[in-house]
Amino acid sequence: MADRAFSATRLPGFATIAIGAFVLLYLPIITLVTYSFNATNSISEWGGFSWQWYIKAWDNDAVKAATANSLIIAVSAAAIATAVATAAALGTTRRKAYRGQTFIYVVINQPLMVPEIVTAVALLIVFGVVKEWSGYQGLGYLILAHAAFCTPFAYLPIRARLEGMDLSLETAASDLYASPWQTFRHVTLPLLAPGIMAGAMLAFVISLDDVVITEFVKSGGQDTLSTYMLGQLRRAFTPEVNAISTALLAATVLLLIAFFLLTRKRD
Amino acid sequence: MKRLLTATALLLATTGLARAEGVLNLYNWGNYTSPELLAKFEAETGIKVTVTDYDSNDVALAKIEAGGHGFDLVVPSANYVPIWVEKGLIQQLDLARLPNHANIAPEWRDVSWDPGRAHTIPWQWGSTGVAVNTSVYTGNINTSAIFLEVPEELKGKINVVPEMNDIVNLAVMYAGGEPCSEDTAVLQKARDLLLAAKPDWISMDYGATERLSNNDWAASVNWNGSTMRARLANPPVAYGYPQEGYPLFMDSVALLSDAQNVDAAYKFLDFIMVPENAAMISAFARYANGIAGSEPFMPEDMKTAPEVVIPAEFAAAGVFLPTCTGKSQEYITAIWTELQK
Repeated sequence: MADRAFSATRLPGFATIAIGAFVLLYLPIITLVTYSFNATNSISEWGGFSWQWYIKAWDNDAVKAATANSLIIAVSAAAIATAVATAAALGTTRRKAYRGQTFIYVVINQPLMVPEIVTAVALLIVFGVVKEWSGYQGLGYLILAHAAFCTPFAYLPIRARLEGMDLSLETAASDLYASPWQTFRHVTLPLLAPGIMAGAMLAFVISLDDVVITEFVKSGGQDTLSTYMLGQLRRAFTPEVNAISTALLAATVLLLIAFFLLTRKRD
Repeated sequence: MKRLLTATALLLATTGLARAEGVLNLYNWGNYTSPELLAKFEAETGIKVTVTDYDSNDVALAKIEAGGHGFDLVVPSANYVPIWVEKGLIQQLDLARLPNHANIAPEWRDVSWDPGRAHTIPWQWGSTGVAVNTSVYTGNINTSAIFLEVPEELKGKINVVPEMNDIVNLAVMYAGGEPCSEDTAVLQKARDLLLAAKPDWISMDYGATERLSNNDWAASVNWNGSTMRARLANPPVAYGYPQEGYPLFMDSVALLSDAQNVDAAYKFLDFIMVPENAAMISAFARYANGIAGSEPFMPEDMKTAPEVVIPAEFAAAGVFLPTCTGKSQEYITAIWTELQK
C-alpha cells in the first residue's frame, strides 16, 4: 500500500526539472563567486587566481563605512522588528478570535503587499519634512524604515511557531497558579525561542539586502553596502563588487548554519 | 516618560549640531570621486568630506526636492542643470570667493546650460561615439554610418547602447538635422535609417568595456571612457567621433540652496579647480575634466589618449544635447518605441 502513496519524486521528469531549477538558481551565484578570485579586472574572462579584490575591498574606506552602516541598521532594525513581531504574534494567536482580526493581519503584513517603490517615495516625502523640522539626520530614519518592512518577515515564522505549539502546556501552567507573566516567561517564551530566532535572522537578512527604500531615505554618508554597490553601476564593474557580494553571501550562509545548529537541538 | 523625552530632545539637538565646521556632504555619482582627492583636501583644510552615492539624475533630483537631505554639493549632468536652477534647488555662486574660477578652460566657461559658469563648476566630461575593432574593419570610423549603414565586415557584430536620447539624436544628426529637431522630414529619415540598420545589430545592450575587450563584439556605440578601457585591454579597439555630430556630456558640481556648510563648499569648489587636483579627479574616474592646465598632471596613459583628447578636426562636431521638450521628445520616444519592437 505504501508503494502507491503519492510522491512528487516519482513523477516523470522530476529529476530533470529539479536539477534544472537548481542550476538556474545557483549558476549565477557560482559565477559571481568564481570571478571574485579573478587576477585581472574582468568579470567575464578568467585571468588566474588571486585574493587581490578581497584585499582591495578590505582597504576601501567607502566599503568599510558602508559595511558599518549596513550592520548597525540591520541589527537595530531586526531587534525592533522582532520585538514588535513577537508582541503582534502573541496578540493575534493567544486570545479568542475577535472582530477585525483579519484586518490587523493585513495591516501587519502591509509591507509584503505594497510595492517597495511606493513605500520608498512615501517615506522620502514624510522623512523629508521631519528631517527639516527636527534638524536630525542620523541613521534613525533608516532604522525605523527597515524595522517597518522587516516586521512581517519576523512575524510570519513567530506566528507559525505559536500556532504549532501545544496550548495544553500553557493551560497547565495557569492551572498550577502561574501568573500570566510567569506562564509567558517560563513556558511560552522558551518554546517560542526558535521562532523568534528565525524571525530575527530573516529580518536581519532582509534589512541587509534592501536597496530601494534605503536609496530614497538615506542622508549624507549613509550609504549601505547595497546602495554602494548600486552606485558602482556608473562605471565598469570590477571583481571588487564580486568580492563584496561573496563576503555578504558567506556571512549570510554562516548565519543560517548557526541558526540551524541552534534550533536543531531544541527540536 | 518625561526623562525619555528630555533624552530624545538632547539626542536630537546634539546630532543636529554634528554638521558643524569642518565637514562637507557631497552627493555624487557612485564610484566617481577620487579618495586621494578627498584625503588631500582634508589634509589642506581640515574639512572632512562625506560622499554619498546616487545612480541617476532623477533620484538625486527627487531626494533634494523632498528636503531635509543634509547635502551641500551635488553633481548633475548638463541637461539637468537648467532644471535644478529653475526649481531653485541650487544657488548662484559668488565668484569672488572662487579665485581659481579663471582656471576653467575657455571652451567650458560659456556653456549653453550655464552661461558664465554662474552655477556650476566642471567635474568631468566625455562623449558618445563609436568604438570599432580595427582588425575587423579598416575603413573610416569617424561616422555614424558605422551603426546606421553598417559596413559588410561589421554586420551582426555591432552593438548599440540602449540610450534613447543619444541614439535617436545621433541618427537625427546623421540625417542632417539638429538634436531635438521637430522637422518631420528629418525625423522620418532618421527613423528609416534606424529601422533599416537594426537587423545588422547583434544586440542593444550595456557592458561594452567587457565585450569589446574579449572580442564578443567587433564594434559598439559607446562612451569614450569605456572605449579607452577596452583599448587598454585590447589594442585594436579604436574610438570614432562621428563627423555628422555626436553627443557630449558633462557633470558639474553645484552648491545646493539649502546647503549647511557653505564655507566648506566654497573651499572645495575652489580646490577642484586647481589643475593638479582636477587631474586627480580624472585619474580616478578616467574622464577628462574641464580645467585648463591639468594635462601635465594627468596619468601617462590619459595624456595622449585619443578617446580623452578630442582631435582638433572632430571637436566642432561634438554637441551637448539640450533637454528636448514637448513635441521633439514625443517624436524621439515614438521612434525609440518603434525601434524596440
